[in-house]
Amino acid sequence: MSQTSFQDISQAKQDAIPLPLGERLVRNGCVSPAQLEQALEAQSKEGHKETLIGKTLIELGYITHPALLNCLFHQLTRERVAYHLDRQAQTIIRFENVEKSLDGRKVLDNLNLEIPANKITAIIGISGGGKSVTLKHMVGLMKPDKGEVWVGDQPLGRLSTRKLNHVRRRFSMLFQEGALFDSLNVTDNVAFPLRETTRLHEEEILRRVELCLQEVNLVGMGNKYPDELSGGMRKRAALARALVTQPEIILLDEPTAGLDPIIENSIHYLICDTFMRTRYTTVFISHAVPAIFDWCHHVVVLHRGRVLASGPSLEIRNSSDPTIKQFISGDLDGPIQVI
Amino acid sequence: MCLFLISVLANSVRPPYRPKNLLNQIHFIGIRSLFVIILTAIFAGMVLALQGYYTLTRFGAEGLLGPAVALSIIRELGPVLSGLMVTGRAGSALAAELGIMRIREQIDALEVMGIAPLQFLIAPRIIAGLIALPILTVIFDVIGILGGYLIAVQLLEMSSGVYFSGIESAVVMRDIVTGLIKSVGFGLIITWVCTYKGYYAKRGAEGVSQATTSAVVLSSVFILICDYFITSILL
Repeated sequence: MSQTSFQDISQAKQDAIPLPLGERLVRNGCVSPAQLEQALEAQSKEGHKETLIGKTLIELGYITHPALLNCLFHQLTRERVAYHLDRQAQTIIRFENVEKSLDGRKVLDNLNLEIPANKITAIIGISGGGKSVTLKHMVGLMKPDKGEVWVGDQPLGRLSTRKLNHVRRRFSMLFQEGALFDSLNVTDNVAFPLRETTRLHEEEILRRVELCLQEVNLVGMGNKYPDELSGGMRKRAALARALVTQPEIILLDEPTAGLDPIIENSIHYLICDTFMRTRYTTVFISHAVPAIFDWCHHVVVLHRGRVLASGPSLEIRNSSDPTIKQFISGDLDGPIQVI
Repeated sequence: MCLFLISVLANSVRPPYRPKNLLNQIHFIGIRSLFVIILTAIFAGMVLALQGYYTLTRFGAEGLLGPAVALSIIRELGPVLSGLMVTGRAGSALAAELGIMRIREQIDALEVMGIAPLQFLIAPRIIAGLIALPILTVIFDVIGILGGYLIAVQLLEMSSGVYFSGIESAVVMRDIVTGLIKSVGFGLIITWVCTYKGYYAKRGAEGVSQATTSAVVLSSVFILICDYFITSILL
């Protein structure tokens, strides 16, 4: 390995240390320390300590929205390079020889898979390849016919319902259609997991809900019902519900499916921004190829219920495997026969 | 289906208890079925009185109209018609609501949050059915007897004293208890079958529609079959 590479690793590793957004912005030269100080002061005066510092800086005119986005992605890119070079990450979810058949068809076929902790992992692959089934196994919504799924040191298949529910509280999941409860408005939907699984006071719950709605840009939409929202808004409300419990692991099942490119980008930004602030292990299924290669650390390619490739996104993007190449390019000619 | 019921019953005794959820379901199954129960009861009582009078006059026993109407309603028609009406109004809605929650992954969402769907969704509905059906049946009985009174006294010009004193002397506590036991059984059947069908609904809108249809048909058939067996045991 050349000397430059070592410097890269060292610099990227240094950049990969989780820092609050304000400090990251100062470090990257986007705002001055004095401006950050003023923004924090403005926040504390208004009593909104947890309001996004980025928003306050924009409101004070110290940074523009595009500059803020650039800064976030720049930081993430450095992290991704660091991960590509040294691959240092603990495994948080592990599949061991998992097999699953549905309606007589083998959906997962001896699947062995490792999900790195505190990284963004994308699961990609052609439709019917077992992606959603894999995600459901991670949280125990489906049980393998054979093999075992581990979350940390807990084997999901051998846990009692009570212990499984305990493990599940480490997770949040964004379902493909959002899975918001139709009879509850947005505020009640987001507050639901806190009301049902914690003993927080109603005031604290509503404060957290308000913050989450701010984060997903749904301020003022709390009284709307799911059927009054657009597809993108529903996804964002569901994301707020997933974030409100401050989970350790967040699973996203096609968070951008059926959305226009602008909303798709905004959801991607939201996922990145949330990750940069919280460091939740993020696992998501997406067909937004090759866009996802720009912002996730780790990519798993599933094909016919098996892992075709798994590794840092930069490595998968440059893979010479004809199936992966065909999937990324979307060519009709290749090993994947669609028609 | 039996395993489903056992799991629900086991879940219903475990904390956390959600009384608000239970009250909502009692409101949905009970109070919102009240109008249809009153309407059915009054006309059932009226038609019973008409038919009964026509039959009893053949034997010169029209004085027994009150007891005939009351015993038919309290022992048989009250619980059965209440059960069938609640199946049509609330049972179908229970199956459809749970079916939609299933296909829209809302039940999966509950599980991911660490909330047991059987405890959160199903147990309150079944307990609400057990509470609401006997109350609705009592209301049906009272309104049905009053419907019979309208026809017997207002239209057929029977003495109200004869109508009510006949009822008082003929109806015993055992009749009322029999009707109430039936209504508790029917409350269990409706909520059990309808929640089971909805909870395990499959394959999109068609699956929900199938689940709803089979929930209503099965509940209605089970009510009639169980009615026979409970009657033959308690008679």
